[in-house]
Amino acid sequence: MNNCVIKLMLGNHAIAHGALEAGVAVAAGYPGTPSSEIIEYLLDYGREFGVYAEWSSNEKVAFEVSYGAALAGARSIVTMKHVGLNVAMDPLMSSAYTGVRGGFVIVSADDPNMWSSQNEQDNRWVGLHAYIPIFEPYDPQSAKDFTKLALEFSEAHLHPVMIRSVTRVSHVRGPVTICTPAIPKYAKDYVKDPRRHALIPANARLLKEELLKRWNNIENDVEKLPHNYIDGGRDLIITSGVAFTYALEAVKNYGVKASILNVVTPVPLPRKTVIDAVSKANKVVVIEEGDPVVEQQLKAMLYDEGIRVPVLGKMENIFNRVGELTMNSVMEGLSKALDLINPFISLKPAKANYTPPPRPPVFCPGCPHAASFYELKVSTAKAGVKPVFSGDIGCYSLGINNPFNEQDLLTDMGSSLGLGMGIYHGTTGKTIVVSIIGDSTFFHAGLPALVNAIYNKTPMLILVLDNRVTAMTGGQPNPTSMINIEDVAKSMGADYVKTVDPFDMKRAQEVMSEAIAAVKRGGVAVVIMKRGCALEAVRLYRNYVTRYYVDPDACRACGICYNLIACPAIVPLENKKAWIDPNMCVGCSVCAQVCPYNAIKPEGNVKEWLNTWAKM
Amino acid sequence: MKLNIYLAGVGGQGLVTFATILGDAAIRAGYKALIAETHGLSQRGGSIDVHVRIGDVDAPLIPKGGADVVVAFEMLEAFRAINYANENTVFIVNRRLIRPPATKQKIPSVEDLENMLRGSIKNIYVVNAYDDAIRLGNVIYENMVILGALYSIMKLGNYIPQSIIEESIKTNIKRDTDKNLKAFAQGLKYGNNNNNKP
Repeated sequence: MNNCVIKLMLGNHAIAHGALEAGVAVAAGYPGTPSSEIIEYLLDYGREFGVYAEWSSNEKVAFEVSYGAALAGARSIVTMKHVGLNVAMDPLMSSAYTGVRGGFVIVSADDPNMWSSQNEQDNRWVGLHAYIPIFEPYDPQSAKDFTKLALEFSEAHLHPVMIRSVTRVSHVRGPVTICTPAIPKYAKDYVKDPRRHALIPANARLLKEELLKRWNNIENDVEKLPHNYIDGGRDLIITSGVAFTYALEAVKNYGVKASILNVVTPVPLPRKTVIDAVSKANKVVVIEEGDPVVEQQLKAMLYDEGIRVPVLGKMENIFNRVGELTMNSVMEGLSKALDLINPFISLKPAKANYTPPPRPPVFCPGCPHAASFYELKVSTAKAGVKPVFSGDIGCYSLGINNPFNEQDLLTDMGSSLGLGMGIYHGTTGKTIVVSIIGDSTFFHAGLPALVNAIYNKTPMLILVLDNRVTAMTGGQPNPTSMINIEDVAKSMGADYVKTVDPFDMKRAQEVMSEAIAAVKRGGVAVVIMKRGCALEAVRLYRNYVTRYYVDPDACRACGICYNLIACPAIVPLENKKAWIDPNMCVGCSVCAQVCPYNAIKPEGNVKEWLNTWAKM
Repeated sequence: MKLNIYLAGVGGQGLVTFATILGDAAIRAGYKALIAETHGLSQRGGSIDVHVRIGDVDAPLIPKGGADVVVAFEMLEAFRAINYANENTVFIVNRRLIRPPATKQKIPSVEDLENMLRGSIKNIYVVNAYDDAIRLGNVIYENMVILGALYSIMKLGNYIPQSIIEESIKTNIKRDTDKNLKAFAQGLKYGNNNNNKP
């Protein structure tokens, strides 16, 4: 324990630090909640120890960067959110066939309850699908420990290993003992071995045989991992991941009398460890976050072993199958499974006779997306078209809300273009499609889709909301700072390409009108709405910010500013006149431009501020 | 020792910083602490909550009805936090109303909201952290005023010495550290002043 200290740490930072202690050399990822802080930490603290870390253009590329490094023999890690793993599935499936030379850890941060996601898929299934073992931490300390273990396990078996985290591990802070990072282990050179690394069918067939042998060894060796068994009686609770912490509290604080087995690896289950524990039990309850992955494997295993014991879990609807576990839902389930009285039933809850209106997330004050959505609404109305607004994943997904209602569908990264094309062809070309996509999402999955639109001559307006950063996940940098989207679209051969500043509202609407006309003529139009994220602009140029105020004598209480822009800094007063909260206004000028009575006036040099902001 | 502190507020009010300082201080004082937060879209002015658990705890989330203290940074969010409270829960509520944007629902006045809260909750302290922060020069000090209020009202000094909280503020807030320490000190009056007793 030399040079070790206990620190309050975010679960994701603990994962990153575990990788550093294990001598990780190459790290890559694509931002996505709840995974982003892992790469951020490695960029901030790993570089001084000689770690190569990068934000990649998408998860597939990130995966290949780390996988390639591990094929060479370097220790590497790749991080992404659960749905990001879908993008990386192609190399992932093959990585189990080739195996690796250096430790290779894949981190999937799942999002049960969909706090910031389009679905709540449980990526532990991927382990079964791809023959990749899954390590599942339950708190920040185990997040660090398991990451270290996973890198070592991977290198010992020359096989990829996946860490499955969840929001309630990745975004939980807790005490973590951290020690000095190890020297990063890079490969001296890449030793060619096409028989193993080039998956032509003849090679792949042989490698599948080897994979199954490796998997057999892995199944044996997961027995040696530090699974927890706590003896507490003839009822047995089996857990994996964060469910372990709820089981511990159920036993410590809520009168549950049961033994607990927590497995490090939900895939593959440590067979002997599990059978030993189950052999001592009258009844088994499985608690897990997500789908019944452990429960299904356990039941198959018990069938093989000829053990007949009741197994209760999500398959019997003992625990909620939608959303995340809570102490309340775990106690409700345990009470049903073990015939106990749920202690929460006798709790006297506090009550009040007022329900406040919901407070959904909204566009920040000064968000350029709000201006773009306003301009799009006006321009399409002026052109007399009723487009389908094909949306995408990013802050601009919030355009689904009032007063905009300009995200008719959105399902996955880049879907704005792909689904838009399908809707166009599926409606025999009768639909005007506007695809709305951010800069980072454009580089992530929009590029091949734009190629397709141009190649297959599918008319559509593609609005790239270029706010210069990957804003929704915390403002990470992305290729838009180096690669000009207008140049890309022009060189691909789009029929109409223009860049415009959404804060130049008159010009922006002219450009949009021209673009809509081009689409009506059958062209592919790409309009880049270029203006930096307001949060980032204020962070970068704090001292330049100017503000606007409402002149109460000039204001006629028409409500255009607060109803149509919906800026949170603009508040309607009792007399329906507008008031701008000086603590929130960031001086974007958009409300002043839409005010028909010139009642919104600047304090300070707006031009200079907007020019500074435009440097982003 | 076990203390469940449920924080409710609006994105941007500094709940995560508040929780980090408190959790860091608890760990420096030799306790375990777990903080569960939601990131992502909650930055964008939406409702946010943070679960702070100090002492002998394992699970990240406070059970519904299981909070010892609810700290509401905003009055409407105090009502939303009620699910986490039981009849003995102490409420510390910042006297500040942030209107949810784009709502058609009429919002009661601050006075009416306060009366409704006082009528429903036995142990309630209403603090003027917003005004205190503005007097210090910026609304961003609001969270440290509320931290001072929590520290004094809940007598956290029995577990975490004031010097350790101050150390934690210095470590976790790099900008205008002095003002933040002052804001914390301002907040202490809410627990030390007998006029604020419920």
